[in-house]
This record gives sequence, C-alpha cells and structure tokens, in this order.
Amino acid sequence: MSTQTAVAPVGIDSQEAILERRSQAVIEGIEAIDPDFVLHLASSTLKIVLSHFIDGAGARPGRRVFAMPREEEGVAIAAGLELADVRPIMIFQDNGIGNLLTSLLTLSQPYHLPLLCIVTRRGGLGEYNSMIHTISERSEALLDAAGVRWFQLDAHTPIERWAVEIERAWHFARATHRPVFMLVNLMGA
Amino acid sequence: MSIERADVLRQVDAAFPDSTVVLTLGGTVREMLAVAGRKGNHFISLDAMGQTISLALGLALGLEEPRPTEKVVAIEGDGSLLMGLSVMSTVGHLKPKNLVVFVLDNGVYLATGAQPTAAGDIDMVTVAKACGWVDGRDVRTPEELSAAVAWALSAQGPILIRVYIGTAQIPTSYFLEDPVILAEDFRRWLRAEQAPTSIG
Repeated sequence: MSTQTAVAPVGIDSQEAILERRSQAVIEGIEAIDPDFVLHLASSTLKIVLSHFIDGAGARPGRRVFAMPREEEGVAIAAGLELADVRPIMIFQDNGIGNLLTSLLTLSQPYHLPLLCIVTRRGGLGEYNSMIHTISERSEALLDAAGVRWFQLDAHTPIERWAVEIERAWHFARATHRPVFMLVNLMGA
Repeated sequence: MSIERADVLRQVDAAFPDSTVVLTLGGTVREMLAVAGRKGNHFISLDAMGQTISLALGLALGLEEPRPTEKVVAIEGDGSLLMGLSVMSTVGHLKPKNLVVFVLDNGVYLATGAQPTAAGDIDMVTVAKACGWVDGRDVRTPEELSAAVAWALSAQGPILIRVYIGTAQIPTSYFLEDPVILAEDFRRWLRAEQAPTSIG
C-alpha cells in the first residue's frame, strides 16, 4: 500500500507555510497597533492569529479578547468602545461582510467612528469549501457599493510590508474618521 | 395604572443625569428629546436597528476603568432587542458591572405602524439570567418602576429591567440632526466628564 503526501514543488512554499508566515505578519501588524480590545469571529483561516490573542502571547493583562456571535454586533460594540476612547479592532472572515453592512452604514460610517477590520479572504485559489466563494468573491464589490474604504494584502505585497500596512490602515481609519477594512489573503493566492 | 414610554424616560433622565445613556432609535429618541431636551450624556442612535445594547456594551467596557462608579444605561425597545438578541449572551459572558439595560416593551414595532413583536412569548428576565446577567426585574406599575430605577442606581450589573409600557406617544417632530454632530457632542461631554478637576 502506498501513501500519497502532498508535497510542494521545489521553490514553492506549502500552503501551510504561507498561512503561518502571513498569519505571523498579521499578528505583528495588530500588535504594533496594540489594541485594548480584540473582537473576533469564528474562522478556521484565522486560527493562528486568533490563538495568539486568545491564549497566546497576545493575551496580555489589560487587553480583552472576545468572540462575537454576529459581525453587526461587533461593529456596534466597537463603536461604543471607540466613543469611550479605547482601541478596538475586529477580526473576521469576508463571508461575514454581508452581515454587518446595516450596522456599519447606520452607525460607524455616518457617525464618523473609526474602526479597523482585519478581514481574511476566502473563496480564492486554495479554497476547499464548495460554497463560500459565492459570497467571498463579491467582497470588494460589496464594500465598494457600500462606500467602505478597503485595502488588500496578498501575494502582490511583499510579506515584509504586511505588518506596516496594517498599522498604516489603523492610522488611516483614524485620520479619515471612518471604518477601514484590511482584506488579508492568508491562503496563498 | 399603566406606564407610558415618556414616564420611563423622565425617570431615567432624572435618575442618571451624569451617566452615559444610550437611546434606541425612533420614537424613544424623539420622546426623550421632548421630555428632557438635548443632553450631552445621551447618545442618540438614529437607525442602528438591534444594536442599542451592543453599543452600550462597548461604552460600558470602555468606561469601566476610567469611570468605575458611573453606570452606562441602555434604553432599548422589545422589537429592537429581538433584532439583535445574540447580544444577551455577549453581555452575560463579559459581565460589565456598570451596565444597566431598560427594555421598554410595548409589544409592537410602534414606529412602523404597531406590528406585533414576539416579545409577549418571551421571558426576557429569565433569558438574561440564563445568559449570565447578574439580575433582572419585570416592571408593570409606576411603583415598581420607581423601585427598579432606584435599584438600578446601586445594583451591580449587568442588569435588565423590562418595563411593560403602553403605546401612547407624545406628538413629536422628526429629529434630523447630523450623526457626526451627535457623536462629537457626546464625545465632548465624555471628555469633559473625564477631565481631572483643577484645584486652585
């Protein structure tokens, strides 16, 4: 009996290696922001990032990290935290964008409340779910239609720049008084 | 004798003059403006359906440290609460000690033509306690309302007070303020409240 193991061709990183490296870059970017509150939703793609903040080195005293059952709830809690002058960020997958649009467009956006959302991409190359692309591939179009400013980190951006760009997105949200979405592709495409 | 929404709003405003009060949308905002006027400590949510408690939760968490003795009060309706019921579990999990929630339950979506809500079949206080809230009360009479407001001033949160109200409304005009101004007014009030008092 033979066993088959997926081996990346020479010179090409395995998907796991890419996920690990990009996740670490996202962690570094978020840590540079040093948020007081990290609000997150369930995501297998985000497992490394979330582990860092839930029970890893990022779970430091004075920082609260908690799960949201719904993205729109997270937006409203983050709006309250922003009004209270503390530092929240939200982390979730792009298939949750549809859930939060009403909350975002009736609260954060019209009230000029900054919010940085770190949003992982699904549905592209490397996707293993047969359905999720039907919403995830429309993420940019949904955000554009909603007038929500977004940036994207993927293979086009050198990994060395990811953390810096995430930190810049935080400052950009504050400078422009609005929510900013940083779309991050952790899956290798 | 039944309780009307304006009765509750008057009592809450009088009891919490220096606390953050987050108002749910629609008629509640307009009636609070009618009975209390524009207040710096009132955060007016114009249209974030189902998110009043979530917004207040964020404020409660953010203000726990700088203002440990001050309450954060949410005034929510039964219909709006049911639009975002998941927040009950989040509040119960995070347990902000400073959070007080009044649910004004008239059993209908009054602002949109009085369509019935599902609230009549729900024991909200039991739901809150089952989710981990510290305590809750049902209020059906003016006497119970006064007692509940007094209790809310000193009780450790999170607590939920469900007030059964009628559907009478004060005649009001539309409130059309720019949301940016609403947010900034509230922030200015909060900054002034948090600023250290100068001596001499």
